[in-house]
Amino acid sequence: MANRDGREKTGSNWVVVVLAWLPVTLPLLWGIWQTVKKAAVLFR
Amino acid sequence: MAGLLSRERIVAKPGFNRWLVPPAALAIHLSIGMAYGFSVFWLPLSRAYGITEPTPDDWKISTLGWMFTLFFVFLGSSAALFGAWVERVGPRKTAVVAAICWSGGFFISAVGVYVHEIWLLWLGSGVIGGCGLGLGYISPVGTLIKWFPDRRGMATGMAIMGFGGGAMIGAPLADILMKHFATPASVGVWQTFVAMGVIYFIAMMAGAFGYRVPPPDWMPAGWTPRPQQRAMITAGHVHVSRAWRTPQFWFLWMVLCMNVSAGIGVIGIASPMIQEIFGGRLIGASGTLQDLAPQQKAQLASIGAGFAALLSLFNIAGRIGWASFSDYIGRKRTYLIFFALGLALYSMAPTAGQTGGATLFVVIFCIILTMYGGGFATIPAYLADIFGTQYVGAIHGRLLTAWSTAGVLGPVLVNYIREYQIARGVPNAQAYNVTMYVLAGLLIIGLICNLLVKPVDRRFHMSPEELATARVAQGSRA
Repeated sequence: MANRDGREKTGSNWVVVVLAWLPVTLPLLWGIWQTVKKAAVLFR
Repeated sequence: MAGLLSRERIVAKPGFNRWLVPPAALAIHLSIGMAYGFSVFWLPLSRAYGITEPTPDDWKISTLGWMFTLFFVFLGSSAALFGAWVERVGPRKTAVVAAICWSGGFFISAVGVYVHEIWLLWLGSGVIGGCGLGLGYISPVGTLIKWFPDRRGMATGMAIMGFGGGAMIGAPLADILMKHFATPASVGVWQTFVAMGVIYFIAMMAGAFGYRVPPPDWMPAGWTPRPQQRAMITAGHVHVSRAWRTPQFWFLWMVLCMNVSAGIGVIGIASPMIQEIFGGRLIGASGTLQDLAPQQKAQLASIGAGFAALLSLFNIAGRIGWASFSDYIGRKRTYLIFFALGLALYSMAPTAGQTGGATLFVVIFCIILTMYGGGFATIPAYLADIFGTQYVGAIHGRLLTAWSTAGVLGPVLVNYIREYQIARGVPNAQAYNVTMYVLAGLLIIGLICNLLVKPVDRRFHMSPEELATARVAQGSRA
């Protein structure tokens, strides 16, 4: 699929994109949450 | 099998969504980023024999700490040595080799813990794992820059943010696993190494098989380079074998080395620094750290750990934040901010420590840490702007020797100056002042080098024939 400039269009399979991001985003958010809990001692 | 891993096999088909590539890169970087979290193993390993108390046969924490030096040295060396190979074979094969090295390192270390041989840990995780770090780190760089010519900084920032975030996942995970595997006869480390080796192998292989490279000269639909940025963004390509002969390479090498040396020096001393500078003031008591009761010292230690954790959050925020911001203001200006603002903040830190409250001190170092992370994440895009995208992964690999150098230089400099000050009778609370001014001095060197970066002379650019040959050799001619 090419547009008028003859360039490739970026695909639009966004459901697959979301599914691909979940396995990396969820552990990262868990890791950030663990770190936030540790850092929270500074604000007590 | 070779075909499955080859570059030709992973050229994206029409309609492929480029946003599928960053999660693949993140899977690799989140796995190898555990290198930063290895200190979670030191305490249990220091009583692997004694279980509850260290015995004379147990390893000392200082002996185990050599692992960090090995990580940084082999990360930089392998990235520099194998960078050109990475460009030739493509990201998937590189990531598979990185997965084998990184996970294999965990398995060898597990054997090392089981038979209690420290050299197996150094060889396994330090040397072989260190090579996995280097290969894994550079594996997605060139690919992401080619997929996101419009947002080079953001794309590499996402991956390199993963390297900063790896320890945030890995360290608490290791803690959970060690508690799970611990028995009255074992601290549970070798079993944790095996489990983590398996987890990281699966994650990295998933990332490797998620990689796709764009067809040659692919560009996002409707995108054209912004004219105002063209002065510092080359349209040509410099071969990796020629790049290191240009002054620009060495200026950028110094830029990275100085930025990392200053930041890494701070990370290493963050926890003791805040405790020694503020002492009892952190918990509303009077007196220096040495004057406090054991319970108060424990409270301060927990605040120190919290400060280190807060810095790591700002470190990863800076990676994605500054790198994305550099897409708008340009790489040279971004580093100009790092060095100028860093210089001001490092110079202010001693005064903030003596006269200001702990809040100002914490804020200063949080900003500094965003720029430390931002420096790592912005450098690949800077290299792509200056040397072109054809060999950016390999050139980045060679530049990472600056990181290896800084990994040794920063902590040595900081610790040596602190000990020298204390030996001269300077109170512990003020022993960091000169250190901060020396780190500010490193940033002045970085600032000058950054100002000297100009576009590469055209005589270093690859000719159209050389470029065509290189692309055929890389098998990327679709």
